[in-house]
Amino acid sequence: MNDAVDVALRLLIVFAVFLTFPLIIGQTEHKVMAHMQGRLGPMYAGGFHGWAQLVADGVKFVQKEDVVPAGADRRVFQLAPAVALLPYLLVLLAIPIGPGEGAVGQVLDAGIFFVLAVMGVGVLGSLMAGWASANKFSLLGGLRTAAQLLAYELPMLLAAASVAMAAGTVSLPGIVHAFQWWWLPWQIVGAIVFFVAGLAELQRPPFDMPVADSEIIFGAYTEYTGLRFALFLLAEYAGIVVLCGLTTVLFLGGWHGPWGAEGLGWLWTLLKTAVLAFVVIWLRVTHPRLRADQLQKFSWTLLVPLSLAQIALTGIVKVVIS
Amino acid sequence: MSIAAASPGFLSPTGVEIAFLLVGLVTFGAALVTVTTRQLVHAALWLVVALGGLAVEYLLLTAEFIAWVQVLIYVGSVVVLLLFGLMLTKAPIGRSPDADSGNRWAALLVAGAAAAALVWVVVDAFRTTWIDLDGAAVGTTKVTGESLFQNWVLPFEALSVLLLAALVGAIVLSRKAKADAAASSRAPQERGDQGADRSEDRNTDRSAQEGAR
Amino acid sequence: MAPIPGSGLAKGLAVTLRTMTKKTVTEQYPDTQPDLPPRTRGVIGLFEENCTVCMLCARECPDWCIYIDSHKETIPAATPGGRERSRNVLDRFAIDFALCMYCGICIEVCPFDALFWSPEFEYAETDIRDLTHERDKLREWMWTVPAPPALDPGAEEPKEIAAARKTAEKLAAQQQAAQAAQAEQSKQTEQSEPPKQPEPREEDA
Repeated sequence: MNDAVDVALRLLIVFAVFLTFPLIIGQTEHKVMAHMQGRLGPMYAGGFHGWAQLVADGVKFVQKEDVVPAGADRRVFQLAPAVALLPYLLVLLAIPIGPGEGAVGQVLDAGIFFVLAVMGVGVLGSLMAGWASANKFSLLGGLRTAAQLLAYELPMLLAAASVAMAAGTVSLPGIVHAFQWWWLPWQIVGAIVFFVAGLAELQRPPFDMPVADSEIIFGAYTEYTGLRFALFLLAEYAGIVVLCGLTTVLFLGGWHGPWGAEGLGWLWTLLKTAVLAFVVIWLRVTHPRLRADQLQKFSWTLLVPLSLAQIALTGIVKVVIS
Repeated sequence: MSIAAASPGFLSPTGVEIAFLLVGLVTFGAALVTVTTRQLVHAALWLVVALGGLAVEYLLLTAEFIAWVQVLIYVGSVVVLLLFGLMLTKAPIGRSPDADSGNRWAALLVAGAAAAALVWVVVDAFRTTWIDLDGAAVGTTKVTGESLFQNWVLPFEALSVLLLAALVGAIVLSRKAKADAAASSRAPQERGDQGADRSEDRNTDRSAQEGAR
Repeated sequence: MAPIPGSGLAKGLAVTLRTMTKKTVTEQYPDTQPDLPPRTRGVIGLFEENCTVCMLCARECPDWCIYIDSHKETIPAATPGGRERSRNVLDRFAIDFALCMYCGICIEVCPFDALFWSPEFEYAETDIRDLTHERDKLREWMWTVPAPPALDPGAEEPKEIAAARKTAEKLAAQQQAAQAAQAEQSKQTEQSEPPKQPEPREEDA
């Protein structure tokens, strides 16, 4: 009985985080992007500096008609948003926020593999959407998504493998427990590769050519309206939460901080995640979109060699200190 | 055999066993639809269901590492590659009348034979083995890794060499296709030491899985 | 000197970060009125007292959005035996702001300074026909036209002021001359006889 309540509570908390954090990041993006462009951003919804803008957006999306194109593959088309969104919900379960059993949805033995595998599944949603829309732009978007995933999954995995080698475990809480401050310079290359590859996998600018609006309208999501479209957008922002949380846990030492690591560990995790989310937004505002071939070249000629070098470095240091 | 006597019977199945059976049925059904459907992309998507079901089965057998690697490699990469190929070539919405190749019966025969052989091997190898769910998990990463690198090093290395050969072959083929053109961006990358490193790393995942099978 | 790879990326990041800390340029319009320059092209006002129905504005308008109707009236001769004069009387002057492209050519060509820019811009309507502003409305806009900007130091005087000044100066000079003449006369009358009627009044009339 107690177990059931415990499980229900954990699921509820994770679900709440899943619903609120992406919205918070979305609102932050609205405001930060606006101020970086010399604007104010939303100011009306909710009264105080437009804090309820995304709630208003959600209400608007719900009211819109849900259109399925006549030529589309109906069931695949309707299923795609769920396939895109649910994996991120599952990943959130496995990210530890603080030390101890209570601060993680579910401790997994092979946590790294779980999160990377499930994040890869999320891309399947874009592929299904792109194919099922019966639209050339959507299909192109789907193709680009697939090509991008294939190119960036490898460096991401290699970077994660490097940190797993350093920690000697593939469990996420285990990695954070093993973290020492000097891992930061040691794994910095891996961290950057992981973060950049994650951005590419989430199709965030400057790696957003699968949804490049000036070329292919909105890629795989061109034909979507209303709530299903909103789910795709939510998936993108949930993806930011997951990526920043993962980078924090794997490379930035999660709940470790200069002080207050005992009681306030979760605060450190949240703080680092928030800073990374800010960086995601910052990059989006600053850099223009890469071309498709530049994107591939960037991955295969820069990120993959860098991550391999990181693995070699990790191995050498590991052997030397043991 | 004393183990057989001590092992639980089939008549009072536990919840995990029922779940295992149900997931197995779903996986089997999805696999059947995969090979019989006339819609190409649907076949690939049903394959996702089948592979995912297989991952769940691994999970129920406490082989967590294998399960996630299964999802990562097969659902995350192989099916995506498959869909990529389908979309690049021909992926009409609706039925493809030419999706049938006339040798259905031969295919059925081969599939039946392969399935029979696998079932026979598995049954013969693990006939009376029961996994103790209450004790320490027997399929954790640690256990899998230790058995892989202690008992199964030779097959592991053999598979590594096989995959490396496949990788080199792919590079050779792709380079021959455009010998005069400038080398593509990925070709020079996979040559040499780094390429070898990379294949090793991939092999860790893949052959771990093969070993488990 | 070869730049460090990635320095351009860092420079871009610095620019956006710096912009974020600066004050924004957004004007929250319905809440606070924008601070527009006085010569803003908001709406066109008609100073109909100046209009002579010469039709230049309507003819020069590139999209033909000015409508003018008029008739002629005959004014009886001012002086007995003089010639009757005919005069244009404005019946209708309307600008269709749904068509107007705010080029300002009508204002430029008006030879009698009857058209002016006003910075008012809040005249959106729910019906497009209401965007045709008739004569009275155009006259109303005239009250919102700001005073002309001050002249540059040392600039030539505006013609109307120069004309008025000249007239005034002439008058003053005549008065002075008359006074001087009077003074001289009074001197003479002191010697001979008292003065008669002052002369400037006749000239005034």
